[in-house]
Amino acid sequence: MNQTLINRAGGLHAKDFRVVMSDIVDHEVVYLPSQLIVDFNKCTGCRICELACSARHEGKFQPSLARLKIVRYDDLGMDIPNVCGPCETAPCVDICPVFAMRRDPITKMTYLEEDKCILCKSCVGACVNGVILLDTEKMRIIKCDHCGGDPECAKVCPTGAITYGPDSSSATIDRHGKIVSYLKEIERTDKVHGTGAE
Amino acid sequence: MTGGYTGKILRVNLTNEKFKVESLPKEWIKPYIGGDGFGAKLLFEELAAGIDPLGEQNKLIIGTGPITGTMWPMSGRTVLISKAPLTGIWGESHVGGFLGAELKYAGYDLLVIEGKSEKPVYIDIQDSDLHLRDAKNKWGLSTDKVTIAIKKDKQDPDVQVAAIGPAGEKQVRYASVMFNHARAAGRTGMGAVLGSKNVKAVAVRGHGAVEVHDLDGFMEFAKDAHMRVRTNPIARGMSRVGTWGLVAVKQEIGEFPTYNHETGVFDGWEKLSADYIRPKYTIGDRACFGCSLGCKKVNYVKEGPFAGTLEEGPEYEGLMAFGSLIGIDDYATTLKGNQICNRYGMDIISAGATIAFAIEAFVKGAITEKDTGGLKLEWGNREIVIKLLEMIGKREGFGEVLAEGSKRAAEKLGRGTEKFAIHVKGMEVSGQDGRTHRSIALGHATGARGADHLRSLVVVDQLGYEDVAAKRWGVDKLPEIIDPYTEKYKANAVFESENAYCIRDTLIVCWYTVSWPPIFWMEDFAKILPLATGENHFGNVENLTQIAERQVTLKRLFNAREGITKKDDTLPDRFLKDPMPDGPGKGQIVDLEPMLRDYYTLRGWDLETGLPTEKTLKRLSLEWTKHHS
Repeated sequence: MNQTLINRAGGLHAKDFRVVMSDIVDHEVVYLPSQLIVDFNKCTGCRICELACSARHEGKFQPSLARLKIVRYDDLGMDIPNVCGPCETAPCVDICPVFAMRRDPITKMTYLEEDKCILCKSCVGACVNGVILLDTEKMRIIKCDHCGGDPECAKVCPTGAITYGPDSSSATIDRHGKIVSYLKEIERTDKVHGTGAE
Repeated sequence: MTGGYTGKILRVNLTNEKFKVESLPKEWIKPYIGGDGFGAKLLFEELAAGIDPLGEQNKLIIGTGPITGTMWPMSGRTVLISKAPLTGIWGESHVGGFLGAELKYAGYDLLVIEGKSEKPVYIDIQDSDLHLRDAKNKWGLSTDKVTIAIKKDKQDPDVQVAAIGPAGEKQVRYASVMFNHARAAGRTGMGAVLGSKNVKAVAVRGHGAVEVHDLDGFMEFAKDAHMRVRTNPIARGMSRVGTWGLVAVKQEIGEFPTYNHETGVFDGWEKLSADYIRPKYTIGDRACFGCSLGCKKVNYVKEGPFAGTLEEGPEYEGLMAFGSLIGIDDYATTLKGNQICNRYGMDIISAGATIAFAIEAFVKGAITEKDTGGLKLEWGNREIVIKLLEMIGKREGFGEVLAEGSKRAAEKLGRGTEKFAIHVKGMEVSGQDGRTHRSIALGHATGARGADHLRSLVVVDQLGYEDVAAKRWGVDKLPEIIDPYTEKYKANAVFESENAYCIRDTLIVCWYTVSWPPIFWMEDFAKILPLATGENHFGNVENLTQIAERQVTLKRLFNAREGITKKDDTLPDRFLKDPMPDGPGKGQIVDLEPMLRDYYTLRGWDLETGLPTEKTLKRLSLEWTKHHS
């Protein structure tokens, strides 16, 4: 059987290639292990991703229960999306005392087995991106599951700041590019003129 | 409760320091929808005629609509409604940012601020945890510093803050309320109302949800709507340059207000145009809540006298107010002026127009250095503008006079200066000119809050969208309806636009994508509202039109109670008597009367008094207004 390995396409009405190509006999479409990848340069801080995430998982518009978080810095004019992964090591897995948080060896995605979870909240504290939450109403851990491989946030993002595809180390490095150069420029001029930014 | 609403009104009484949660009257939903509609109903019922806008009896409403906080494009907006300090009549100011959505998540459709606090406070709302907190150490701070300080106090970066600056504390008549550092509820002086009540800020944090009636249907239509925004060529252009693109367009059609509206073309326009600014100054793109367009630009000045200025904005109106209107062809000055206005909390349009008024009065010899405290005013002097802005924000020296707005300043200065005060009903004219765009002449003259470009500005004729005009108003009204130099059919265009914008302001969604570029209109609202609320009454354009008409007439009745009649629906002589001196519209002048008569006829208002007739009150079920005087 022939195989085609492809990345996920973004967009609001993304087609599932497996369905598109299902008519071709002896051909299988395989998605590459993917991660949510973030580009600070493109994020406008609109929080549509938070809305779509909560709508999909909670059936209502409730950003406080979204599986990702946009942090807005109004004084600097910057917005930083925090999503689950890509993590080199997974602190949430390492810290879990009952092995409820696991990591898929191929996709590197971490996932929670709710049956085992004892609600100790260790993962909430350990997550470097701050996107694992405790829902205090229903008493459960809230954690991104990449929508089972078809993440809503990447589909609705209007600028392509959040994409879903195979992780490359360059993306991880790039995502710090904007903030570093930006802060340098602020620092430079602050010495000379004073920007008033805090 | 009907989908979309939280079903609760939060009242805070500053005099006795009490919060009260009421349920939203169900019977308001069908006739008023939300936002502006609820605000108009509440304010009309609860304010007595003739009260002082800066007194204890005035109330300030922070309102949201049924789709605020949902996935529908640009639905995080908020409206501030009160009796306006600038004009003494109906006051409202819409603002982007995130506070509206946060208020819904906290569980309230409306926040009503009443009474007057003895000492400076800020209102702290976290879900059902409600407090008035001491703001003594925050009094006097600029809006950005207050916002940061409150976030620090609460130890939560997601707290949404609406703050006033020194201008609001000093009750500058056009003080604004600032959200997210650079989103302004600018016009009509809402900041002064908060200042008069000793409220430094409103901080909101919510963890709840907004639930719609039919989530699947809603999401499908909302995603589709986002795609329409993303694929619209004009919207894409706006993502890149915001409203700056208008500068070149307005210059081309001779409607770029210059030298205090004397003319409509500005020689230095190129240095204020999008193509010049974007590569030189813009370092980032931002958006308000739920917006896939993202028109906000973060700009940074690298060199020159204003080097180091980092700020969002200004919009087209800011480029006009601190640029062409006072003869300055330098973007950095407009950015600096914008920053000062944001930090002091002042309306950019009124501030720029009041300064332009003073400059013209000085240049033409009506006032002298004796009035200005030794300042020599002239066109195009950037240092003077920055200095005057700071003086207004602090109400120092000549700034004390200008802080009252151009109408009051002219009354105080006398000596024929009133002909330089370009205002309607006390509110300064925005960046349009009725002489080269007739429909806005009617819009400025009839706007409920004064010279207003946001409630009825017809863009279709101004920028020549023939296809859109044909679809909305019928082929039979072409070509006159899109001819900016004729009065014919302009009342129809203003009437229908005002109706659609009314619904826009009850939802509440953004000006952009409804008014310009023209993407969504009544039929889209008629589809999304039933999906959100489950109220099928909203699924019909005729019903929505009637709701809009009710709202416009209700605001008119509010103004009528304050003494507004047909005599106030007029324009400064500049537009009625002085023909446009140069540019493509040279020689054009406004003939207001025929447009007014057409408009009153469509609205069902009396042709002589300009007030709603008995028949209209009955048709719009507004007879209850007669019991509140």
